[in-house]
Amino acid sequence: MKKLLTGNEAIAEGVIESGVEVITGYPGTPSSEVILTLISLQNRIDSSIQHIEWSINEKVALEIAAGAAWVGKRAMVTMKMSGLNVAADSLASIAYSGCRGGLVIFVADDPGAHAGMVEQDSRHYAKLMIVPMLDLASQQECLDYVKLAFELSERIAGPIFLRSTTDISHLASDVETGEKLSFKNREAFLEKDITRYTKAASSWCISQHQDALLRLTKALEYVEKYISEYRIKVNEMFLNQVNKEGIIYTGAVEGNFKEVIKKYNLKISWLKIGLVHPLPEERIKKFLEKVDKVLILEELDPFVETEVRRIASLMKKPVDIWGKLNKDFLPVVGGYSFKHIKKALEVFMGKEFEPEQDSKIKEKAKELEVKRPTSFCVGCPHRGTYFALNKAIKNLKYKKDEIIITGDIGCTILGMNEPFESCWTEIAMGASIGLAQGFKHGGIDKPVIATIGDSTFFHAGIPPLINAIYQKVPLTIIILDNGWTAMTGFEENPGTLVFNNNQNTQRVDILEICRGCGVEELKVIDPYKPEEAIKAITKAIKYPGVSVVISRRECALQARRRKIQLPKYKVNLEKCTGCRICLNSLGCPAMVFHPKEGRRGPYMEITVDCFGCGLCKFSCPTGAIEVIEDGK
Amino acid sequence: MENNIYIAGVGGQGVVSLGQILATYGLEKGERVKFYKQVGMAQRGGPVHCEVRIGEVFGSRIPPLSADIIVVMELAEGLKTLEFVKPGGIAILNRRKIYPLNLMAYPERYPQEREIIHLFEEVRAKIIWIEAGKVAIEIGLPLAENIILLGAIANFLSLDKDVLLSILEKNVPGKLEKNVKALERGYQIVEGIKQDER
Repeated sequence: MKKLLTGNEAIAEGVIESGVEVITGYPGTPSSEVILTLISLQNRIDSSIQHIEWSINEKVALEIAAGAAWVGKRAMVTMKMSGLNVAADSLASIAYSGCRGGLVIFVADDPGAHAGMVEQDSRHYAKLMIVPMLDLASQQECLDYVKLAFELSERIAGPIFLRSTTDISHLASDVETGEKLSFKNREAFLEKDITRYTKAASSWCISQHQDALLRLTKALEYVEKYISEYRIKVNEMFLNQVNKEGIIYTGAVEGNFKEVIKKYNLKISWLKIGLVHPLPEERIKKFLEKVDKVLILEELDPFVETEVRRIASLMKKPVDIWGKLNKDFLPVVGGYSFKHIKKALEVFMGKEFEPEQDSKIKEKAKELEVKRPTSFCVGCPHRGTYFALNKAIKNLKYKKDEIIITGDIGCTILGMNEPFESCWTEIAMGASIGLAQGFKHGGIDKPVIATIGDSTFFHAGIPPLINAIYQKVPLTIIILDNGWTAMTGFEENPGTLVFNNNQNTQRVDILEICRGCGVEELKVIDPYKPEEAIKAITKAIKYPGVSVVISRRECALQARRRKIQLPKYKVNLEKCTGCRICLNSLGCPAMVFHPKEGRRGPYMEITVDCFGCGLCKFSCPTGAIEVIEDGK
Repeated sequence: MENNIYIAGVGGQGVVSLGQILATYGLEKGERVKFYKQVGMAQRGGPVHCEVRIGEVFGSRIPPLSADIIVVMELAEGLKTLEFVKPGGIAILNRRKIYPLNLMAYPERYPQEREIIHLFEEVRAKIIWIEAGKVAIEIGLPLAENIILLGAIANFLSLDKDVLLSILEKNVPGKLEKNVKALERGYQIVEGIKQDER
């Protein structure tokens, strides 16, 4: 049956069709929807899935999936590229030991940095970790390659990487779905073999290393066979007899490449590489034999290109190779659009296919464009926290840009934007607390403040907190606890209140963690109550040791979904002077400013979008904002 | 056959649901479909756009100069679509301006309507004005702007109305009657424009 599925939804479908029993992960754009989809389907369809979870971080998630695979089950772990860095320590060891049940590691890269993070090319991890990697080129492949990856993993007895990019994961396409496999009766057991599952002797490590390398060879053999046996093509070659020009491509560029070929009716040979590690060296050689000139198309680093150049250098026949390593030709940074591919092919083939639109039009349009900066959502509790934080800094007689505030990953980082402009830095999960300690040791005398969200704190914020206490670093940490991993799609985390009587999880309270770590100056505030929030933050900043303020209030979007009702606010037009202090200090999307018109003066309006956080009432100097008493 | 539809607007206008209906239509018709929606930090008021491709298509995004129909739900957002207009293609402009917070006090900084129109003329788009907001209020369903525009698209692309209705039935069962009305009104507005031209 054909379904309209995004790449991530197709992967979820593949998980169901492959009889996977355990699936774990940590949310991260553009990877989150695999587990989100599976959770939403969990009670509606019959599948082999026994356990599905949002783990505390990617390293833990991988260890759980590996454990399940070691006892013989099929298991998958999902993460974004940054998460792979977190999981890498365990992965290096797991890859040496291999696995018994299928273990697939799904990682999504983000060329073009749509989600605002590093443009890391995770294909390098395949080499580094000695793990075969399939690179996804279409939504159909998302489904097909999951099935292939599990078979491959069990065939070679080792983990397999399944790598996607934003363009594949987030786009929807018609996808042909298939039959469900089930392995419900697989018995769970772990063979006791310390030579394979520990690293306590150098001879064991060396033989495990050898085994891992051998698995690569097996994977390639199997993949090349798989093409003929099951008709899912991984590495595919098309030879055109008209000319001696060829393209080697991999991953998400496929769609635009085929589009260019169709649109301009191009005759050209091509080699598609689905298994990017280990590369099909023999096949590449065969292709290079047939062409005189080859262009390599791949997003991010010249990963395949470097290898193709190496292979070509060993051949007797000269081949002219084009790619990113040519000066000023194809960029390493950013994703490749249709335009990039078209232009590259035009230069490569030495002819213009179609003239571009007059660039003056785009320039003029760009000039006129209306910028719509991202701010916090209506009712977002973080608005209250940053509002209070800025006020506290002002109360302590510091200038706005005198106090360093480190930011962290997630919605909380939006505190760097207007109107707050609080956060100065953003590195990685939990890093706000570590970095802040460095600022102090480096000699910053004025207070340093770290801000971090709840899920980010659980993920990697606890070790740097313990370190700060241990090293007695004077530091203020503000934990913005909205109870959800919100930015990536409202996933649950250990601090999420259990609303639907879920007996399978138990809440872990951040307050108790801080107390247990030995935080002495510790206070919970409500960001909807600015007066007490300002007072608590001011006191925390003045404290000479580690102080923690937990600013606690549920994510407004989630609260709204749960039908939480708060009294709404309105503007009393008699009192409103149209000074815009509310708008300029809060940037609330539920506010509309009406400029002076004729004899009528300027005024503010609060729209029906108001959630009722009440911050505007506090900010108004003329007392013009009033609560609507009856809630209507 | 190849149809490329580009829809631009801001969060809360129903840009993505309009695209979703069109993409579902393509699937139900047994065609190949590509559906791109801008995701991420696209909350209420943020820029949102989506692209639907139906037919013999490979790339997930509409190539420049290839959109058969551009739907501009918020005027200034239309400026981002110009490079995709196919010469002679249709640009459906919805007369609606939504000011971001930083422009509220300075409406004069919002681009002039004539400047926007001029650029659409320069790329040789066939401009169709639809006051979807007004019509939606007349129908009594202010949120149905996108369905009115769907009706307009259905007319231009000769879409099968029965299939569209069945999709609406599945997607918006609650306010079906008014949505069906919205679809029909959009369709008829274009019919009227076509007749005037004849």
